[in-house]
Amino acid sequence: MTSLGFFDHHHFNFKTLLTMAAPYRQDMPPPGGFEAVKYKRNLPFRGPGALAILGGVAAISAFGFYRYGQGALEKRELQREKAWSRIHLVPLLMAEGDRDAYRRQQAALAREKEIMKDVKGWEAGKSIYNNPKYASPQFVVL
Amino acid sequence: MSSYQAGSVETRPYVDPTPLPDDIPKVQELGVSSGPLKSAAFFIGAYCKEYNEDFMLCKAESRDPGHCLKEGRRVTRCATNLITKMRENCLSQFQEHWNCLERNNQEYYLCRKPERSLNACMFEKLGLTKVIPGTPQGQKPIHEVENPIFKAIQK
Repeated sequence: MTSLGFFDHHHFNFKTLLTMAAPYRQDMPPPGGFEAVKYKRNLPFRGPGALAILGGVAAISAFGFYRYGQGALEKRELQREKAWSRIHLVPLLMAEGDRDAYRRQQAALAREKEIMKDVKGWEAGKSIYNNPKYASPQFVVL
Repeated sequence: MSSYQAGSVETRPYVDPTPLPDDIPKVQELGVSSGPLKSAAFFIGAYCKEYNEDFMLCKAESRDPGHCLKEGRRVTRCATNLITKMRENCLSQFQEHWNCLERNNQEYYLCRKPERSLNACMFEKLGLTKVIPGTPQGQKPIHEVENPIFKAIQK
Protein backbone atom coordinates (compact mmCIF):
# COMPACT_ATOMS: atom_id res chain seq x y z
CA MET A 1 0.00 0.00 0.00
CA THR A 2 1.41 3.34 -1.01
CA SER A 3 1.86 6.09 1.58
CA LEU A 4 -0.31 9.21 1.23
CA GLY A 5 2.33 11.54 2.78
CA PHE A 6 1.08 13.82 5.47
CA PHE A 7 -2.56 13.20 4.52
CA ASP A 8 -1.95 9.82 5.72
CA HIS A 9 -3.60 9.87 9.08
CA HIS A 10 -1.08 7.50 10.44
CA HIS A 11 1.85 9.89 9.85
CA PHE A 12 0.17 13.38 10.47
CA ASN A 13 2.66 15.88 11.99
CA PHE A 14 2.63 19.76 12.48
CA LYS A 15 6.33 20.08 11.81
CA THR A 16 5.81 18.62 8.44
CA LEU A 17 2.96 21.12 7.84
CA LEU A 18 5.14 24.25 8.63
CA THR A 19 8.11 23.17 6.62
CA MET A 20 5.87 22.73 3.72
CA ALA A 21 4.21 26.31 3.98
CA ALA A 22 7.39 28.57 3.92
CA PRO A 23 11.05 27.99 3.87
CA TYR A 24 12.72 28.35 7.24
CA ARG A 25 14.29 31.78 8.01
CA GLN A 26 15.93 33.07 11.23
CA ASP A 27 14.88 36.68 12.29
CA MET A 28 18.04 38.83 12.48
CA PRO A 29 18.95 42.52 13.18
CA PRO A 30 18.85 44.86 10.15
CA PRO A 31 21.96 45.10 8.10
CA GLY A 32 24.47 47.42 9.88
CA GLY A 33 22.93 46.63 13.21
CA PHE A 34 20.32 48.44 15.33
CA GLU A 35 20.71 52.24 15.76
CA ALA A 36 21.87 53.49 19.14
CA VAL A 37 19.20 53.86 21.86
CA LYS A 38 18.28 57.59 22.40
CA TYR A 39 18.59 57.93 26.11
CA LYS A 40 20.32 61.43 26.28
CA ARG A 41 18.21 64.68 26.89
CA ASN A 42 17.55 66.48 23.65
CA LEU A 43 16.12 70.01 24.48
CA PRO A 44 16.12 72.76 21.84
CA PHE A 45 17.52 76.29 22.63
CA ARG A 46 14.80 78.29 24.41
CA GLY A 47 15.83 81.98 24.46
CA PRO A 48 18.54 83.87 26.31
CA GLY A 49 19.99 82.76 29.58
CA ALA A 50 19.05 83.79 33.10
CA LEU A 51 21.80 86.37 33.43
CA ALA A 52 20.87 87.98 30.12
CA ILE A 53 17.22 88.26 31.15
CA LEU A 54 18.14 89.61 34.59
CA GLY A 55 20.48 92.13 33.02
CA GLY A 56 17.87 93.17 30.46
CA VAL A 57 15.17 93.66 33.08
CA ALA A 58 17.58 95.63 35.25
CA ALA A 59 18.56 97.85 32.31
CA ILE A 60 14.94 98.53 31.31
CA SER A 61 13.99 99.26 34.93
CA ALA A 62 16.96 101.59 35.36
CA PHE A 63 15.97 103.51 32.26
CA GLY A 64 12.38 103.70 33.47
CA PHE A 65 13.34 105.01 36.91
CA TYR A 66 15.66 107.58 35.35
CA ARG A 67 12.90 108.75 33.03
CA TYR A 68 10.44 108.87 35.92
CA GLY A 69 12.84 111.02 37.90
CA GLN A 70 13.30 113.42 34.99
CA GLY A 71 9.53 113.55 34.58
CA ALA A 72 9.03 114.35 38.25
CA LEU A 73 11.49 117.25 38.00
CA GLU A 74 9.74 118.46 34.86
CA LYS A 75 6.34 118.22 36.50
CA ARG A 76 7.59 120.38 39.34
CA GLU A 77 8.60 123.07 36.84
CA LEU A 78 5.25 122.82 35.05
CA GLN A 79 3.53 123.27 38.39
CA ARG A 80 5.67 126.31 39.14
CA GLU A 81 4.74 127.79 35.78
CA LYS A 82 1.04 127.25 36.47
CA ALA A 83 1.30 128.74 39.96
CA TRP A 84 3.04 131.87 38.68
CA SER A 85 0.53 132.36 35.88
CA ARG A 86 -2.13 132.49 38.60
CA ILE A 87 -0.07 134.70 40.89
CA HIS A 88 0.32 137.24 38.09
CA LEU A 89 -3.45 137.39 37.69
CA VAL A 90 -4.30 137.74 41.38
CA PRO A 91 -4.09 141.59 41.63
CA LEU A 92 -6.19 142.03 38.51
CA LEU A 93 -8.97 139.70 39.64
CA MET A 94 -8.83 140.95 43.21
CA ALA A 95 -9.14 144.57 42.09
CA GLU A 96 -12.22 143.73 40.06
CA GLY A 97 -13.74 141.76 42.92
CA ASP A 98 -12.98 144.54 45.38
CA ARG A 99 -14.82 147.11 43.30
CA ASP A 100 -17.89 144.88 43.23
CA ALA A 101 -17.61 144.11 46.94
CA TYR A 102 -17.29 147.82 47.72
CA ARG A 103 -20.37 148.60 45.62
CA ARG A 104 -22.42 146.01 47.48
CA GLN A 105 -21.02 147.15 50.83
CA GLN A 106 -22.07 150.75 50.18
CA ALA A 107 -25.52 149.59 49.03
CA ALA A 108 -25.94 147.54 52.20
CA LEU A 109 -24.84 150.52 54.29
CA ALA A 110 -27.41 152.78 52.59
CA ARG A 111 -30.10 150.14 53.16
CA GLU A 112 -29.20 149.83 56.81
CA LYS A 113 -29.26 153.62 57.26
CA GLU A 114 -32.70 153.81 55.68
CA ILE A 115 -34.12 150.98 57.77
CA MET A 116 -32.62 152.09 61.10
CA LYS A 117 -33.10 155.86 60.69
CA ASP A 118 -35.71 156.00 63.50
CA VAL A 119 -33.56 154.16 66.05
CA LYS A 120 -31.62 156.55 68.19
CA GLY A 121 -27.95 155.89 68.75
CA TRP A 122 -27.70 153.31 65.93
CA GLU A 123 -24.49 153.45 64.01
CA ALA A 124 -24.96 152.00 60.58
CA GLY A 125 -22.13 149.79 59.39
CA LYS A 126 -20.52 149.55 62.79
CA SER A 127 -18.43 146.44 63.27
CA ILE A 128 -19.69 143.91 65.76
CA TYR A 129 -16.11 143.50 66.95
CA ASN A 130 -14.25 145.99 69.09
CA ASN A 131 -11.35 145.83 66.68
CA PRO A 132 -10.39 148.27 63.95
CA LYS A 133 -9.16 145.43 61.71
CA TYR A 134 -11.39 144.73 58.72
CA ALA A 135 -13.61 141.68 59.06
CA SER A 136 -15.47 140.39 56.03
CA PRO A 137 -19.25 140.46 56.53
CA GLN A 138 -21.10 137.36 57.69
CA PHE A 139 -24.08 138.06 55.43
CA VAL A 140 -23.58 139.17 51.87
CA VAL A 141 -26.16 140.34 49.36
CA LEU A 142 -24.67 139.66 45.99
CA MET B 1 -47.64 114.69 48.21
CA SER B 2 -45.63 117.83 48.48
CA SER B 3 -42.37 118.60 46.81
CA TYR B 4 -39.57 120.89 47.86
CA GLN B 5 -39.93 124.42 46.64
CA ALA B 6 -37.06 126.85 46.80
CA GLY B 7 -37.78 130.09 48.61
CA SER B 8 -37.36 131.98 45.38
CA VAL B 9 -38.58 130.90 41.97
CA GLU B 10 -36.06 133.17 40.25
CA THR B 11 -33.83 131.21 37.91
CA ARG B 12 -30.99 133.66 38.42
CA PRO B 13 -29.57 134.68 41.79
CA TYR B 14 -30.41 138.12 43.05
CA VAL B 15 -27.75 140.70 42.27
CA ASP B 16 -27.81 144.04 44.00
CA PRO B 17 -28.45 146.54 41.19
CA THR B 18 -27.09 149.57 43.06
CA PRO B 19 -24.26 151.15 41.07
CA LEU B 20 -20.91 152.20 42.50
CA PRO B 21 -21.12 155.52 44.37
CA ASP B 22 -20.51 158.56 42.17
CA ASP B 23 -17.45 159.70 44.11
CA ILE B 24 -15.54 156.63 42.94
CA PRO B 25 -14.00 157.18 39.50
CA LYS B 26 -15.26 154.71 36.92
CA VAL B 27 -12.96 152.28 35.19
CA GLN B 28 -13.80 149.98 32.32
CA GLU B 29 -13.59 146.39 33.54
CA LEU B 30 -11.22 144.17 31.63
CA GLY B 31 -13.94 141.77 30.48
CA VAL B 32 -11.51 139.10 29.29
CA SER B 33 -12.27 135.43 29.87
CA SER B 34 -9.95 132.88 31.45
CA GLY B 35 -8.28 131.59 28.26
CA PRO B 36 -6.86 134.93 27.06
CA LEU B 37 -6.03 135.86 30.66
CA LYS B 38 -4.00 132.70 31.07
CA SER B 39 -2.31 133.29 27.73
CA ALA B 40 -1.40 136.85 28.74
CA ALA B 41 -0.67 136.13 32.43
CA PHE B 42 3.13 136.30 32.28
CA PHE B 43 3.05 139.45 30.14
CA ILE B 44 0.62 141.08 32.56
CA GLY B 45 3.04 140.12 35.31
CA ALA B 46 5.96 141.65 33.43
CA TYR B 47 4.23 144.74 32.05
CA CYS B 48 2.21 145.72 35.17
CA LYS B 49 4.76 144.66 37.79
CA GLU B 50 4.84 147.99 39.66
CA TYR B 51 1.07 148.44 39.74
CA ASN B 52 0.49 144.85 40.80
CA GLU B 53 3.03 145.02 43.58
CA ASP B 54 1.70 148.36 44.74
CA PHE B 55 -1.81 146.92 44.88
CA MET B 56 -0.74 143.81 46.78
CA LEU B 57 1.25 145.89 49.29
CA CYS B 58 -1.83 148.03 49.79
CA LYS B 59 -3.93 144.90 50.33
CA ALA B 60 -1.41 143.72 52.89
CA GLU B 61 -2.13 146.95 54.81
CA SER B 62 -5.84 146.26 54.96
CA ARG B 63 -8.18 143.71 53.46
CA ASP B 64 -11.02 146.24 53.33
CA PRO B 65 -12.34 146.30 49.74
CA GLY B 66 -12.64 150.08 49.96
CA HIS B 67 -9.01 150.57 50.94
CA CYS B 68 -7.24 149.95 47.63
CA LEU B 69 -9.72 151.12 45.02
CA LYS B 70 -7.28 153.61 43.51
CA GLU B 71 -4.48 151.06 43.19
CA GLY B 72 -7.00 148.56 41.84
CA ARG B 73 -8.07 150.95 39.09
CA ARG B 74 -4.44 151.37 38.09
CA VAL B 75 -4.02 147.60 37.92
CA THR B 76 -7.09 147.22 35.73
CA ARG B 77 -6.10 150.11 33.46
CA CYS B 78 -2.63 148.66 33.03
CA ALA B 79 -3.98 145.22 32.16
CA THR B 80 -6.46 146.73 29.68
CA ASN B 81 -3.58 148.66 28.18
CA LEU B 82 -1.52 145.52 27.76
CA ILE B 83 -4.34 143.49 26.24
CA THR B 84 -5.00 146.30 23.77
CA LYS B 85 -1.32 146.40 22.82
CA MET B 86 -1.23 142.63 22.46
CA ARG B 87 -4.22 142.72 20.19
CA GLU B 88 -2.73 145.52 18.10
CA ASN B 89 0.66 143.86 17.68
CA CYS B 90 0.30 140.08 17.99
CA LEU B 91 -3.39 139.46 17.39
CA SER B 92 -3.06 136.26 15.36
CA GLN B 93 -0.47 134.65 17.65
CA PHE B 94 -2.44 135.68 20.74
CA GLN B 95 -5.67 134.24 19.37
CA GLU B 96 -3.97 131.06 18.26
CA HIS B 97 -2.46 130.54 21.71
CA TRP B 98 -5.55 131.20 23.76
CA ASN B 99 -7.69 129.12 21.44
CA CYS B 100 -5.19 126.30 21.90
CA LEU B 101 -5.41 126.74 25.68
CA GLU B 102 -9.19 126.60 25.51
CA ARG B 103 -8.98 123.37 23.55
CA ASN B 104 -6.40 121.79 25.89
CA ASN B 105 -7.80 122.23 29.37
CA GLN B 106 -5.81 125.48 29.71
CA GLU B 107 -2.54 123.61 30.09
CA TYR B 108 0.55 125.49 28.94
CA TYR B 109 2.56 122.34 28.22
CA LEU B 110 0.09 121.22 25.55
CA CYS B 111 0.39 124.53 23.66
CA ARG B 112 4.11 125.17 23.37
CA LYS B 113 4.15 125.75 19.64
CA PRO B 114 1.68 128.68 19.57
CA GLU B 115 3.17 129.90 22.83
CA ARG B 116 6.65 130.17 21.32
CA SER B 117 5.41 132.18 18.37
CA LEU B 118 3.48 134.46 20.73
CA ASN B 119 6.52 134.90 23.00
CA ALA B 120 8.71 135.71 20.02
CA CYS B 121 6.21 138.26 18.73
CA MET B 122 5.81 139.86 22.17
CA PHE B 123 9.56 140.18 22.56
CA GLU B 124 9.98 141.59 19.09
CA LYS B 125 7.13 144.10 19.22
CA LEU B 126 6.78 145.00 22.89
CA GLY B 127 10.06 143.83 24.42
CA LEU B 128 8.29 141.62 26.96
CA THR B 129 9.63 138.20 27.90
CA LYS B 130 8.08 135.36 29.81
CA VAL B 131 10.07 134.71 32.97
CA ILE B 132 9.09 132.03 35.47
CA PRO B 133 10.50 133.04 38.86
CA GLY B 134 12.24 130.34 40.86
CA THR B 135 13.55 128.25 37.95
CA PRO B 136 16.66 126.38 39.21
CA GLN B 137 20.00 128.00 38.32
CA GLY B 138 21.51 126.87 35.03
CA GLN B 139 18.37 125.04 33.98
CA LYS B 140 16.38 125.84 30.88
CA PRO B 141 13.00 127.35 31.76
CA ILE B 142 10.30 124.77 31.22
CA HIS B 143 8.60 126.70 28.40
CA GLU B 144 11.83 126.65 26.36
CA VAL B 145 12.70 122.96 26.72
CA GLU B 146 12.90 121.49 23.22
CA ASN B 147 12.07 117.86 23.92
CA PRO B 148 10.09 117.64 27.15
CA ILE B 149 8.85 114.41 28.70
CA PHE B 150 5.32 115.71 29.17
CA LYS B 151 3.87 116.66 25.82
CA ALA B 152 0.77 116.08 23.77
CA ILE B 153 0.53 112.48 22.60
CA GLN B 154 -1.00 113.52 19.29
CA LYS B 155 1.19 115.85 17.32
